[in-house]
Amino acid sequence: MKLAEESYLTDDFLRQLVNVGEVDILVGLPTHNNAQTIGSIVQTIQSGILRGFPRERAVIINADGGSRDGTRELVTGVSIDDVRPASNLHALRTLHSISTEYPNSPSSGAALRTILAAAELLRAKACAVLSPNSANIEREWISKLLSPIYRDGFDLVTPTYRRHKFEGLLITNLVYPMTRALYGLRIREAYSPEFGFSGRLGSQFLGQHAWNDGTEGAGVELRFTLAAITGRNLICQSFLGEKMHVERHAADLVPALRETVGALFSALEPDFPVWSAVTHSQSLPTTGADHEVILEPLRVNRKRLREMFSSGVAELESVFQSILSLSTLAELKRIAALGEEEFHYPPELWVRTVYEFAASYRKSVISRDHIIQALAPLFRGRAFTFLVENRNASEDEVENNIEGLCLEFERLKPYLLQLWESRE
Amino acid sequence: MSLNRDVLWYKDAIVYQVHVRTFHDSNGDGIGDFQGLEEKLDYLQQLGINAIWLMPFFPSPLRDDGYDIADYNAVHSSYGTLEDFRKFLGSAHDRGIRVIIEMVLNHTSDQHPWFQESRSSPDNPRRDWYVWSDTDRRYKGVRIIFLDTETSNWAWDPISKSFYWHRFFSHQPDLNYDNPAVREQMWNVMKFWLEMGVDGFRLDAVPYLVEREGTNCENLPETHAVLKELRRKLDEQFPGRMLLAEANQWPADLRPYFGDGDEFHMAFHFPLMPRMFMGLKLEDRKPITEILQQTPEIPALCQWSLFLRNHDELTLEMVTDLERDYMYDSYAESKTMRLNLGIRRRLAPLLDNDRRRIELMNGMLMSLPGTPIIYYGDEIGMGDNINLGDRNGVRTPMQWDGGTNGGFSSAPLERLYSPLIQDPVYGYPAVNVLRQKASEHSLLNWMQRIVTVRKSTGVFGRGSIEFLYPANHRILAYVRRLGNEVVLVVNNLSSTAQAVELDLRRYKGNIPIEMFGGNMFPRVGDLPYLLTLGPYQFYWFRLRRV
Repeated sequence: MKLAEESYLTDDFLRQLVNVGEVDILVGLPTHNNAQTIGSIVQTIQSGILRGFPRERAVIINADGGSRDGTRELVTGVSIDDVRPASNLHALRTLHSISTEYPNSPSSGAALRTILAAAELLRAKACAVLSPNSANIEREWISKLLSPIYRDGFDLVTPTYRRHKFEGLLITNLVYPMTRALYGLRIREAYSPEFGFSGRLGSQFLGQHAWNDGTEGAGVELRFTLAAITGRNLICQSFLGEKMHVERHAADLVPALRETVGALFSALEPDFPVWSAVTHSQSLPTTGADHEVILEPLRVNRKRLREMFSSGVAELESVFQSILSLSTLAELKRIAALGEEEFHYPPELWVRTVYEFAASYRKSVISRDHIIQALAPLFRGRAFTFLVENRNASEDEVENNIEGLCLEFERLKPYLLQLWESRE
Repeated sequence: MSLNRDVLWYKDAIVYQVHVRTFHDSNGDGIGDFQGLEEKLDYLQQLGINAIWLMPFFPSPLRDDGYDIADYNAVHSSYGTLEDFRKFLGSAHDRGIRVIIEMVLNHTSDQHPWFQESRSSPDNPRRDWYVWSDTDRRYKGVRIIFLDTETSNWAWDPISKSFYWHRFFSHQPDLNYDNPAVREQMWNVMKFWLEMGVDGFRLDAVPYLVEREGTNCENLPETHAVLKELRRKLDEQFPGRMLLAEANQWPADLRPYFGDGDEFHMAFHFPLMPRMFMGLKLEDRKPITEILQQTPEIPALCQWSLFLRNHDELTLEMVTDLERDYMYDSYAESKTMRLNLGIRRRLAPLLDNDRRRIELMNGMLMSLPGTPIIYYGDEIGMGDNINLGDRNGVRTPMQWDGGTNGGFSSAPLERLYSPLIQDPVYGYPAVNVLRQKASEHSLLNWMQRIVTVRKSTGVFGRGSIEFLYPANHRILAYVRRLGNEVVLVVNNLSSTAQAVELDLRRYKGNIPIEMFGGNMFPRVGDLPYLLTLGPYQFYWFRLRRV
């Protein structure tokens, strides 16, 4: 372990780790003011560990971003040990739940760094990270994320979920198809707050990742997945079931783009030797369903999406001139002028748009953050088209549409390579 | 040396369990005998033990190693005579060693004259001395203890053409304790030996004395009434003698066997033993502290009896299914090592002959609350022979030296009651008393040392216990206290070195003095007391205010 990691952890946390000692199983739980739900989540995790790994040495590590609502006390209060025996759970051995507050402001990067450092110090064999914002964590998730690591030798387990067909549009329209096209693996949820990993992969990422790169850990989960791919680690998927959020509010698109697209674009440059050599994509070993879609009706303000696309294209034209090719910009301006009924943002144009943004990001034609921000109105246009196309689509039709987009990303990959290698 | 007169002697006792057959053969017939045992009393005195628990030595067809008694008032001819026993008893007492003998109350051998009479006719006066029935449907649902050999608790007797009740082997019919004549007769048997001078009885299989329809026929109030009656007579007629209960039960079910101090003086703590092995394998104190938390307080005059191994299988009846599976996988990978619900192995092979683990387990045995029992041969790390049937693999001859028959007997090899352990690791040429006596750092000499240290204070036998629960779960730490005497025990259950911080603020100002070497450690202050322990290391500290 680097000295930097040792000093990153507080003395109190190190003392707790000393008491825990070497473990087989580690479950990381990043929190920030999650008092409302954290108690039951920890109990679910404990139950999952006892059911799936009754003989293994296990620990729950809570990396907290400075909660002021008693989250940390709730985590450590649900400990199964010999001092406070749990009435409903019988464990062969002590199951520790320990907590620490990491030094920086709340961020998934800082939390993951703390969890990885703890995993390395404890020589954990199999680790999982769960999000307290998932409202329906089930104890089976523990086995589903950890068993492939602990028992089958995989290094990374990414989840698949049962999602509404209109949930996670950024994933289905950009992150999944682009990751798949570039890196060659069909990982449905490369950016997820829930995943399992081997201690080996954790240590590798901890040592290689640029933790102080100014991004404050944005999109660290995606970077972790990409690092697993480029490190030629064994990866699989595990179906967790429906994903529900504790509080559902419309996520601000720009921060979401920074965490996903920003992380992906920034990885492309160092990962170029890997992704440039990939010529096709392949599926992954998957436990359970590759994906499941919920079709029930959902009210979405499509009109507003299209309006924001059109006004964005007009207002940011000068920015787009720096980012996009003339032909792409012209086509965008053309569809921006179309009425709601005629509006269509076709897959090919969307893929060209994204690839040109990626190349411009690499070349930093303008501030990289401005490039990411500029993608927001265009993504809204693409989202509008996706919503319209799949308004009455069945599960298979939705999947076919996503698959079509993926193939378009794969087909146009040479275009990205051409842009990447051009000097202009 | 003579016996001390303290009626609570059993609290300070260190008991050595031995079968006379296994220890030393004085007449060259291949079977150990009382004269041979007497010849080895000096060895036991040197070891430091102050009580011997003898397994059954009565006339018996020996289909259950003597637990099938055919005559309660005599000595099996293979082991000598009553006079030999008396002589042995006197010699033991002369050395300050008390003698506890086995008494099988629950059942006799089917060869016992009482049973022969009982089965002979429904009209025989002894017919009601056993539990007879025309049907095998009474007491439905009562568990079968010897699952590997028995399919029912009833056996058909072709002579009297009815069923008789047996909780153990079918050749061991249960006595009928509803019959006052049986109760009177069994007291007379006990009196016979008490008058001879024995110091106590280990009463075998006591939960099963009385049967009642609709119950599990274990731990019934009527059984406790029988036992209380025996205790009352014992106290009235033989004060200072002791009753030790064999009741393989959960702590809460065991507690009634102490009554209000008017039933048993001592009882085996069966659930603790497998959890000591489990804690060691898991490297986690939880199983041990958990079972001791569940152990109820017992009357002041009573005492738990602790053991690591004995003549039976390492019983796994008092564990959960999860724990039993773990124990099997950890300690008895081969199915031949398993018997009934247990593991038929000796201490040293169970612990991979790892001296550090053997010492740690003995350290806990000697320092947890209770009277420790050492199973013969474990003090030198004897091995077992899992190829011998039943539990005979842990009942092989004592290994005295590397010579003929390990010094156990001068008989020809083929006449020995059991083959000696001969494998390269545990065989008598490698593991024997003579060799270990000559080696300063042998297990035998270490055992002698720990017995001496244990006996240097009354705190282990009579003191209270307070667990410390340091955050490091691999450390089992407790404070034993008796009056002003305080001993801190710290055990590292882990195979790796550990650091532990102990909250000893209550003992601020005390100086810990390590009890084996007598060295002082830094004074206890306000801060957590930091100790580092090597793999499987343990410390006993006397806390002294200087």
